[in-house]
Amino acid sequence: MDFYLNLINTIGIHTMLGLSAYLLLQTGQLSLAQAGFFAVGSYTAAILTVIFQWNIIPSVLVAMLVTGFLAFLVGFPALRVKGLMLVVATIAFSEFVRMFFYNLKWRVTKNGEEIGPDGTMGFAEIRYFSDNGWSNLEVTFFLWTFVIIIMGVIWWSDQSRTGAVLRAVGEDELAASSVGINLTVVKVSAMTAGGFIAGLSGGLYAHQVTSLDHHSFTVLLGTFAIAYPILGGLSNVFGTLVAVIFIQGLLVEGLRFLGDWRMILFGLLIVLAMNFKPLGLFDKQTIAIIKRSIRV
Amino acid sequence: MEDFLYEVVEITQTIWDGVLFGSTYALIGIGFTLIFGAMGKLNMAYAGAAIAGAYVGLAVSMFLDAPIIFVFAVSALVSTLMGYIVYQTCFRFIPTHNHLAALMASVGGLFLIDEVIVLATRGSPMNFPGLFEDAYFELGPFGIRGDLLFVFFIGIVSTVVLLYVLFKTRLGMATRAVAQQDVAAQLCGINIHRTNSITFSIAGLLGGIAGAMTAAAVGVLSPVMTVPLTIKGLIVTVIGGLGSIPGAIIAGLFVGAFENFFLYIRGIDERDMYVVALLFIFLVFRPNGIFSKTITRD
Repeated sequence: MDFYLNLINTIGIHTMLGLSAYLLLQTGQLSLAQAGFFAVGSYTAAILTVIFQWNIIPSVLVAMLVTGFLAFLVGFPALRVKGLMLVVATIAFSEFVRMFFYNLKWRVTKNGEEIGPDGTMGFAEIRYFSDNGWSNLEVTFFLWTFVIIIMGVIWWSDQSRTGAVLRAVGEDELAASSVGINLTVVKVSAMTAGGFIAGLSGGLYAHQVTSLDHHSFTVLLGTFAIAYPILGGLSNVFGTLVAVIFIQGLLVEGLRFLGDWRMILFGLLIVLAMNFKPLGLFDKQTIAIIKRSIRV
Repeated sequence: MEDFLYEVVEITQTIWDGVLFGSTYALIGIGFTLIFGAMGKLNMAYAGAAIAGAYVGLAVSMFLDAPIIFVFAVSALVSTLMGYIVYQTCFRFIPTHNHLAALMASVGGLFLIDEVIVLATRGSPMNFPGLFEDAYFELGPFGIRGDLLFVFFIGIVSTVVLLYVLFKTRLGMATRAVAQQDVAAQLCGINIHRTNSITFSIAGLLGGIAGAMTAAAVGVLSPVMTVPLTIKGLIVTVIGGLGSIPGAIIAGLFVGAFENFFLYIRGIDERDMYVVALLFIFLVFRPNGIFSKTITRD
């Protein structure tokens, strides 16, 4: 049972991570900085609950605000570069953040025990849930409340004017600015919103896994974050969810007996999917087929 | 005064070693720049293919007990082939205007190559044969490592050959024509796919040499080298200016020196942080790189 709950938690966290990249991809920005934002969120929330002994909800929310603000700051210089240069800039940002936490040492003594981030050794004493007697089921409910709220908000924004503006910028920047859309505002807002969501998911992740290590925040994580929405398609939030369930549930957990071959499958799957469905699994064609079959 | 002089000599020595080692970064940067120039796309699988080439070269030399030059030749050859395969699998059939999909596919390619290497070697680093380990030249208080000098020399030769091919042959003219305006090039009877696959192969050739050079200078070959090499290559490409070959060369040497300098004063843990910070400084103040050319396509 615990195994499945953990899997469901992982799926929830990765869905949020994917959705943070989804917003940016809608505006046509490919950002690999999500891994960096995720790392900032997780370390911030964990430091607040462990060193400052805060309650989890304010710590996670503060982590979200801090990360959002950081994303806002990153958004401006990153806007000076477009397209593929943005990819390079965001990879560099993620690596910088990872290197920062790799070197971060902040040990304090609480109740006769030394706790806090310990540089290369990682940050291992995040026991908020077990210290406060939360059961695994409660953790899962807590986590998925946030996932559902975020999915709901993005689903709603997709249907509203906000989504239309984001898509317009993604489709054609020149056309969008000629109908009076302020490109800078839209892009920086998307970056900030992506930062909020990634920070929130990072904060929840830190408490779910109970120990952080800079190895978890490599370029691979950033790639996962953009792979979900790209594989699932940018037409709606469920594409991302389906892609996460497929990759985390089936490929990573379900095929565990394949051992190291799973990662080869992951690479192969991305290459194949991009060749056959360059616009993602849930592109217009697939959605039309689903709609038709529902009506019949 | 003695101490000060000693420091000056040490730092100059460090920077000089860095410049020599930087020629590997320059070659990787040229590869990225070539492909970007030709297609306007980033090939993320590039450094992975370079390291894979070095691995095959090493494996062949272990079986045949061949001389070190042979390792370089095999890795260059394998990497050329990999460049061609990457083009066919990750770029050829994806719509040209869809940058996201091509980029994502090549990232998938990078992981595929990475994981195949991990699986084939069980993830453990392997010793790479050193070059002229006993060769060491002394110039007053300075010393020059023979292997680094050789690496630098190969880097220069490859660059000169590449520039000759690009600017003096018909093939190079076709490549530059496709880079400038692919539709116009097609109207002149140039086969775009053929030219692009040749560009990818040439870039792969340089990558294979660079991969073997890196491994020879470091002394080991390990699958964890692919991602840092990709990132360094991208940093070099951006600092030099996307699409500029002289920019990539100078940026490569500069990044090599910069990195070695910070390795000396701040240690291995913090070294890469400063290299990344350097990239940010460039992005903020000079986003088009050293050799600023206005970028019109993205």
